[in-house]
Amino acid sequence: MGVLLLDQGAGSDLLFDLEPDLDQSPARRTLLSQIAQLERSLSAAACEAFPDRLDLEQVPARGPRVQNLGELELLRDHLIGSLREARTTLAARESERAAARELLEQMLLDPAKHRRVRISQRDLGVGGCGVWSVMPRLGPMGRLMGWWRVKLSSGCPLAT
Amino acid sequence: MVEAEFPDLRADWLGCACADHRCDRGVGERLALLASRLNGRQALELRQQQVPAAYRSFFRQVGLDPDQQLTPIEQAVLGRLFSGGNLPQDRISDALLLALLETSVPVFAFDAKSISPPIEIRGAGLDEGIGGVALEPGALILADSQRPLCQLFSPPQPPLAAGAASDQLLLVAILVPGVSAIVGDEALTIAAEAISGG
Repeated sequence: MGVLLLDQGAGSDLLFDLEPDLDQSPARRTLLSQIAQLERSLSAAACEAFPDRLDLEQVPARGPRVQNLGELELLRDHLIGSLREARTTLAARESERAAARELLEQMLLDPAKHRRVRISQRDLGVGGCGVWSVMPRLGPMGRLMGWWRVKLSSGCPLAT
Repeated sequence: MVEAEFPDLRADWLGCACADHRCDRGVGERLALLASRLNGRQALELRQQQVPAAYRSFFRQVGLDPDQQLTPIEQAVLGRLFSGGNLPQDRISDALLLALLETSVPVFAFDAKSISPPIEIRGAGLDEGIGGVALEPGALILADSQRPLCQLFSPPQPPLAAGAASDQLLLVAILVPGVSAIVGDEALTIAAEAISGG
């Protein structure tokens, strides 16, 4: 019975208060297992986001202790919210990167149509500090003649 | 109640002697070697490895946020990233750090003369405290047969903690669900050998 209540959100501890003879342990085991699984999923999301950070809402924490059923449910629900937020953030970021990759392809196909456009490696989701940009070949001469090309800068600036 | 909730949560311990408190050169070299293998991505991806992941899950289950209060191994690894290396401190601290970095299992050192095994992990009772500071009832603590020693995952404080005057130590490893006993044994053995120079 306790397990059925888990999907109804926080508050099933109230029922156990009313029915003190009910065994909480199956519900607690299920919640602990769900919390562990959610933590693993959040860890995977944090690694996927690297080198960016996932700024998720933090859980108010006290010292370590065995939590009651209501606290476990609230924590589980909080982690579900955090995971949803993480996945939304990652999906939005991937969509931006896909758009940047497509723009880069267009730049490479037709540089003259994308004059002065710049895309950083970070926008593409690639490590490093390089920037792809459309530049005129041979400076002012290339600009006048319409000789455009895509160039990748050499990387991170030197430390000062 | 703690045993019913987390049947695999336990504290393993091992006694060892410490005749010399000066830093051990061999241990320093092993710490330097471990420090040289680390970068930011590895520090983050650590949380997906089996043992560090078990500690993160357990932190969540007992109401700690492992992104605010870091697990011991993540704290050690971040400390290495921020300081640029595993800087030698003293023989006991170096040995505990080495055991942690090698196995991801936290090991704490107590002065054996102040401790009465067996060591257990339990909830604090009413009116219990450590060093005159009251504990919240139910807070998870490390305790010996007579009294609370420290809050779970918090380092022990003097006079219980091993210090420069301690010649007999009791090393305690905290093992959470999902971490096998053999990893705990390995952590205790590494720390004991590094301390006693074995």
